[in-house]
Amino acid sequence: MTRTTRPTRSRIAWLAGCAVLLALAVLLSLAVGSRQIAPTEVMRALLHGGTSNDAEVVRSLRVPRTVIGILAGAALAVAGTVMQGITRNPIAEPGILGVSQGASAGVVCAIAFCGVHTLTGYVWFAFAGAALACVAVYVVAAGGHRGASPVKLALSGAAMNAFLASVVSGIATTDAHALDEFRFWQVGSISGRGTDVIGEIWPFVLAGLLLAGLLAKGLDALALGDDAARGLGHDAARLRVLGAVGATVLTGAAVAAVGPIAFTGLAVPHIARALVGSAHRWVLPVAALLGPVMILLSDVIGRVVFPPSEVPVAVMTALLGVPFLIALVRRRTVVAS
Amino acid sequence: MTRTESAAADTASARTATRPAGYAVARIGGASFLVHRRAVAVAGLLTVLLAAAVVLYLCVGDSFVSPVQVIDVLLGRPSPDELVVGTLRLPRLVVGLLAGAAFGVAGALVQTVARNPLASPDVIGVTHGAGAATVAAMSFGLVGHTTLPYVSVAGGLGAGLLVYAFAWRRGLHASRFVLVGIGVSIALGSLTQLFLTKGDYLVAQQAKVWLTGSLNSRGYDQAAPLALVLLVAVPAVLWAAWAQRGASFDDDTAVALGIRLDRMRLGLTLIGVVLASVATGATGPVDFVALLAPQIARRLTRTAQIPLLSSALTGALVVVVADLLARRLFSPVELPVGVLTAAVGAPYLMWLIARTRSRSGGSTS
Repeated sequence: MTRTTRPTRSRIAWLAGCAVLLALAVLLSLAVGSRQIAPTEVMRALLHGGTSNDAEVVRSLRVPRTVIGILAGAALAVAGTVMQGITRNPIAEPGILGVSQGASAGVVCAIAFCGVHTLTGYVWFAFAGAALACVAVYVVAAGGHRGASPVKLALSGAAMNAFLASVVSGIATTDAHALDEFRFWQVGSISGRGTDVIGEIWPFVLAGLLLAGLLAKGLDALALGDDAARGLGHDAARLRVLGAVGATVLTGAAVAAVGPIAFTGLAVPHIARALVGSAHRWVLPVAALLGPVMILLSDVIGRVVFPPSEVPVAVMTALLGVPFLIALVRRRTVVAS
Repeated sequence: MTRTESAAADTASARTATRPAGYAVARIGGASFLVHRRAVAVAGLLTVLLAAAVVLYLCVGDSFVSPVQVIDVLLGRPSPDELVVGTLRLPRLVVGLLAGAAFGVAGALVQTVARNPLASPDVIGVTHGAGAATVAAMSFGLVGHTTLPYVSVAGGLGAGLLVYAFAWRRGLHASRFVLVGIGVSIALGSLTQLFLTKGDYLVAQQAKVWLTGSLNSRGYDQAAPLALVLLVAVPAVLWAAWAQRGASFDDDTAVALGIRLDRMRLGLTLIGVVLASVATGATGPVDFVALLAPQIARRLTRTAQIPLLSSALTGALVVVVADLLARRLFSPVELPVGVLTAAVGAPYLMWLIARTRSRSGGSTS
């Protein structure tokens, strides 16, 4: 939000650099784990197939896991970018604002009360939950006469998180069958999700990303303030609604697939802005590349820290993301606004 | 107004020569105090309500026991319901009462010092710190069950210090403090998850039950350290409250009255953090009681300052009623009491936020 103009050439270089980084992260995600597989072996398994054990592990376990990580990472990072744009708030993020938890509570309710057991079924409940949480948190934070300051947004998000967590654990204690179904999904993790999950969520992720891309110009205008945006011919209210819809769809799809994962949507947009400036037509693609990098690297770290057990990716992103949040809060701009 | 209250004259005359409206004078021996009439009435009412809740709590359960029998058991008379009331329900009730009171006092202290209702121990990371430390100790089998309360106090203090250190930047800004607290809480929550995946399956199961904040199978073992800390802390706090009445004015006035604000604040915060941590050690994190109780108490007494005694009573009342509901609402399944307090407390927090007039970056004062 500070530096606005940058030579296009350096932006393209950063974009390419992020793509290379993503390729590296993908390779790591395919190669590292309780069974270490050499990169050459990974390449061979991908290109030529083969029936060796390594090839099996790569194709049936690690490829789906990695693809889901890429989808979820891109979705969450872009959702975070859009939320920060429409709220003009540096700490807006699906996890902190309780939107992820809303989607997750939606899924839990679908499983427990509506007898919905397929991803195609409960992705809609995830959208509904995310949308409700989104609206509730924003309405609460925007009350009072100074509007939604960072601290009010974060607090109402924290309250929403606590409330929904208590609803979920209430359901968990009273309904053992439902608990059995969502207990592994509820701690955000990208492992053990089958290939069918990919097939079911990619249309939603794609739609959300396209919507976010279409809003890039409008988000730039919103950054200048509502009046300026109006002067530039944008309808601020319509932009916010569309942005919220996009962020909700992205968050809902990601959560339905992998469970709630926080902080990807917080850290990535800030890193992206530091690299390519604040124009959203650059920030959005860079975030879409870096989000998967963060998820995949967190996942890889989670696989190796406590062998043989794996640490869920949501735990790792939170541990990596919180120092980032604190650094952000210590900067004067967040608190002064 | 009469000016015969000579014992309180040194402080009273510094502030105002006359007795403020709504106050009465209480004399104990040679000393006399200004007493807020409404506050006394509220404390009395809360005590009556609490006594009613206690009897109700002991009556209601899988088998109903008549109030007469309950009172017989409480007074130590022989009774056929000795087992159900005295052995099963009473220990659990005692833990709930003490933990609720501790949470209430802790919240009152921290909110008073921070002058911000949002800065309660459960928002700023103390309970999460106590939780993470306890789960770590349980999962790694570091210590025995008797030392767990100390571990939880250490965790709570550590988290409090961490938040303080991270939020300090040329002074302490209320909203930075709260934001850092939320961040640290999330990180500690994740660490807790990490420890849970690390530990033995059975231990993890145990730790998970503990983490939702439940009074189930809690007894005198947990109540003892809690009672001890309350016995030390509450008189200390009451004395401090009496000595520092001036601190509710703005800083300059208080300093002019000769109150060492920094030291007083640090001491009160420490006591608050210790109380919240010990209570968390006994019951697990029962969320939002520390936030709710002082606010309810203050709205009842309509005093400028948060009333300590009423906060303690409200805290105990909230926990006992919530646990009663948690036991019976979905019987035979029992909800953890923390689920219920969070379900009520979180919307209340949101309501507080919604009506905040953020004069200085979101702090309400």
